[in-house]
Amino acid sequence: MPEKITLTVNHVPCTVEIEGWESLLDVLRDRIGLTGTKQGCDDLSCGACTVVVNGEAVKSCKMSATRAAGADVVTIEGLAQGTTLHPIQEALIEAGAVQCGFCIPGIAMGLYGLFNKNLDAGDQEILDALEGHLCRCTGYESILEGAKLAQKKLKARL
Amino acid sequence: MSLKFVGKNITRPDAIQKATGKARFLADIHLPGMLYAAILRPGYAHARIISIDTTEAETSEGVVKVVTGKGCSDKYRYGDNIRDLVPMADEKVRYMGEPLAAVIAGNPHQAKQALKKIKVEYEPLPVYTQALDALAPGAALIHEDSGSYWHLPGVGPKPGTNIANHYRLRKGDAEKGLRESDVVVEAEFKYPFGSCAALEPHGAIVWFQEDGMIEIWSSSICPFIIREEVARVYERPESDVRVHIPEVGGCFGYKSDITVEQTIAYIAGFVPGHPVKWVASRKEDFTSTLLGHGMIIRMKIGAMSDGRLMALKTTIYHSTGAYSDTGVHVSIAAAHNSTGAYEYPHCDLESILTYTNTPAVGAFRGYGHPEAQFAQERLIDILARKLKMDPFVLREKNYLGPGKVTALGERLHQTNGDLRKCSDIIKKAVFEKPKQEEDSEYYYGRGFAAVMKSPKGAPFSSKSAYVKFNTDGSVVINCGGAEVGQGLRNVVRLVAAETLKIAPERIHVYTEIDTQFSPWEWQTIGSMFTKQGGRAVMRACQKTIEQMKHTASQVLRCDVDLLEYDGEYVYLSSDPSIRVEVTKLVRGYMYENGMVVGEVVQACADARLPRYSGFDENGQGSMGVSYTFGAQAAEIRIEKSTGKITVDHFASSFDVGRVIQPQQIRGQVTGGVMMTIGAALFEEVRFDETGKCVNPYFSKYRFPTIKDAPLRQTVQMVETPGTIGPFGARGIGEHPVIGPPPAILNAIYDATGIEFFEIPVTPDKMKKALDEKAAGGNT
Repeated sequence: MPEKITLTVNHVPCTVEIEGWESLLDVLRDRIGLTGTKQGCDDLSCGACTVVVNGEAVKSCKMSATRAAGADVVTIEGLAQGTTLHPIQEALIEAGAVQCGFCIPGIAMGLYGLFNKNLDAGDQEILDALEGHLCRCTGYESILEGAKLAQKKLKARL
Repeated sequence: MSLKFVGKNITRPDAIQKATGKARFLADIHLPGMLYAAILRPGYAHARIISIDTTEAETSEGVVKVVTGKGCSDKYRYGDNIRDLVPMADEKVRYMGEPLAAVIAGNPHQAKQALKKIKVEYEPLPVYTQALDALAPGAALIHEDSGSYWHLPGVGPKPGTNIANHYRLRKGDAEKGLRESDVVVEAEFKYPFGSCAALEPHGAIVWFQEDGMIEIWSSSICPFIIREEVARVYERPESDVRVHIPEVGGCFGYKSDITVEQTIAYIAGFVPGHPVKWVASRKEDFTSTLLGHGMIIRMKIGAMSDGRLMALKTTIYHSTGAYSDTGVHVSIAAAHNSTGAYEYPHCDLESILTYTNTPAVGAFRGYGHPEAQFAQERLIDILARKLKMDPFVLREKNYLGPGKVTALGERLHQTNGDLRKCSDIIKKAVFEKPKQEEDSEYYYGRGFAAVMKSPKGAPFSSKSAYVKFNTDGSVVINCGGAEVGQGLRNVVRLVAAETLKIAPERIHVYTEIDTQFSPWEWQTIGSMFTKQGGRAVMRACQKTIEQMKHTASQVLRCDVDLLEYDGEYVYLSSDPSIRVEVTKLVRGYMYENGMVVGEVVQACADARLPRYSGFDENGQGSMGVSYTFGAQAAEIRIEKSTGKITVDHFASSFDVGRVIQPQQIRGQVTGGVMMTIGAALFEEVRFDETGKCVNPYFSKYRFPTIKDAPLRQTVQMVETPGTIGPFGARGIGEHPVIGPPPAILNAIYDATGIEFFEIPVTPDKMKKALDEKAAGGNT
């Protein structure tokens, strides 16, 4: 039977009807219409669906909709302010990390989660955070460069 | 040539839409009244269908319709090379990923739940997962009626066998060449099945509309082939089929040709009036779209003791899967490109495309080049050792270049690029310093591969562009080329900016492709967009300049050929002060009294490779003399305790003729290199003896992560201008994937003295070989 949950998405409270089988990813894409969060696999292994929930980067396909009740969720649509891009988005673009673009929302949110918690993350921590994000286009060189550039930009903003 | 925009790191026009999550991919499309399909896949890889019982599924919650393929194979058979495909299994199933039945429901969950309620009875048949098994005498036929299938001239099945196509190329007399050679080396190589595994799975939406239109959305790179094939099957004018291509989240080959669209069209045909959407799960993307490779390559090289290559004999056994339409030209390309970057006076090159009970094989970045040149580049190193010759000396003696003749019989020119220069760059980048000595933890090795890429297109493989000037002098450009991440929209914009002499910011490049509006393109394959699409853009731009000059000649009352154009004005070359603004010409020129002369400034143009041909009786033909060359090398370390191979440094150099955007070209190379480091070290789509795919998930199909990336990549381009592409440019999309597997396996030999003839070389295989070597085995 459908049930109702309330959660905050990109600072906006939303109440949605859900079915028991739905994940947070389904709620974001199909109930709320925020299709920037992507699905690339069936087994929690591609990272394309990453969003930030209560300050932590999580795979939204893994979290049941029921568990998302009351959560504070930030998606890729919540990063830019109006037409001003978030430094992470700017950095990924400048580094040439955006090719097909399917993995980019997840990668941007993975980095958003990482740098919100630890802006001084070292190379190893950045690699650990990005290991769960698959990209078939770039060979990762530009993604790593983009991550480091994003960190620099975010530090400069402090 | 001094260029203002081409060659600069100008940001691609689609970056912001993608980085903000606003770019619209297939799965993001929702239409009013949309229904969702889920597809049943058989429990056998080869079996007769005895019965399908859909009764229980039909009453399942939310179900609108349950569909089977009964009787579909006569009317709905399709394919644009060999028409052996069916949208859904009819009397038999030929692989485990084949569509067998479908449920259409109100949401995907309901559709998937109902699938479980369909009951199928089968009569199992023998299963073949490898070409050599399907070719054995007495093997059961996968297609009993293959002789009746329509096919293009020059290709097609051999009735009464599992052979889907047999291609043979003869240049000179290979038997004689081998007989007269001082040294002959031979080996058998294996390039296993792989998945392009784009991050966005394949999918399609098909909508049969009340007014007779069929509207389709697909994550595809061939909207016009889909349009033509769907129109043919459903007996509609092509103009009544409208195909949209939204953003495509990676392709790498397997979204080319027509694949899933006919299945979704067949399903949607049962619920006219409703758009029906299907998006592959990752498992379906592995098992029910196209795979790549699946080749056994037997290769024999004859050479003289001074290192002159004399003869090449290649026999490729290609497992094409259950359907051959998409594999046939891959197989042909693999054979005729198996010479790699070398001139052989005598060639006998054949490929035997064979039906197997596995998913159909199709294009995979490189299209036959990586597989055959994996064998060639490994065997050249082996030959050098047998000749006791420096492998660079052996290669340099035989490199293709100006005056040399390819296997296809085409004579090369300076404008095909400078392979020696690429080779020298890589030699310097990787082999100049002494090799790192083995230590207690690691072996170290270096390996090289030269690379040749021919365009695999078709005689009619044109691309086109439409250029429209706006009243403020800004420009809109529309092409039929599919942007899959490679950055072709930026190529279009930069080539147009350079040709029209206006800033890239004032040129807007198309987003979606829509066959109702987009100019015709065959399909966006074969690393040909920059060269051909770019050329079409240039030609259309030049037409608009001519239109402006023509109008200006009336306004300024002078001959057209006395006028010049600079992006802002058309002016008299002898007196630039006599001029008219571009903005006053774009709708025709209006005089003060309101009368207008001249045409609207907009133009369409196309481009194809010159004199591209089919094959003659020797399997030779013309690729439009449009080759690209390069060189690649790997520096690796092998962990002694585990057999784990790490690529410390990978270097690539290609003669691309002209770099259009340096950052994008580097991205193409680093991404391509990573892709086949994956192929060399971990990736393989595996089947058990029943034909079941055992690893159709990212967690089981080892896909390179950021931690597998080489610590360092050297990417250096050579720019010897070509004659066809814009500003001399050639393609680069597929080239970087060719060299890594042979370079890495050559490096493994350099490090350990162990020869591998197949990929992937996983840590287990490496460790086993190291242990055997220590015990006195494999050397």
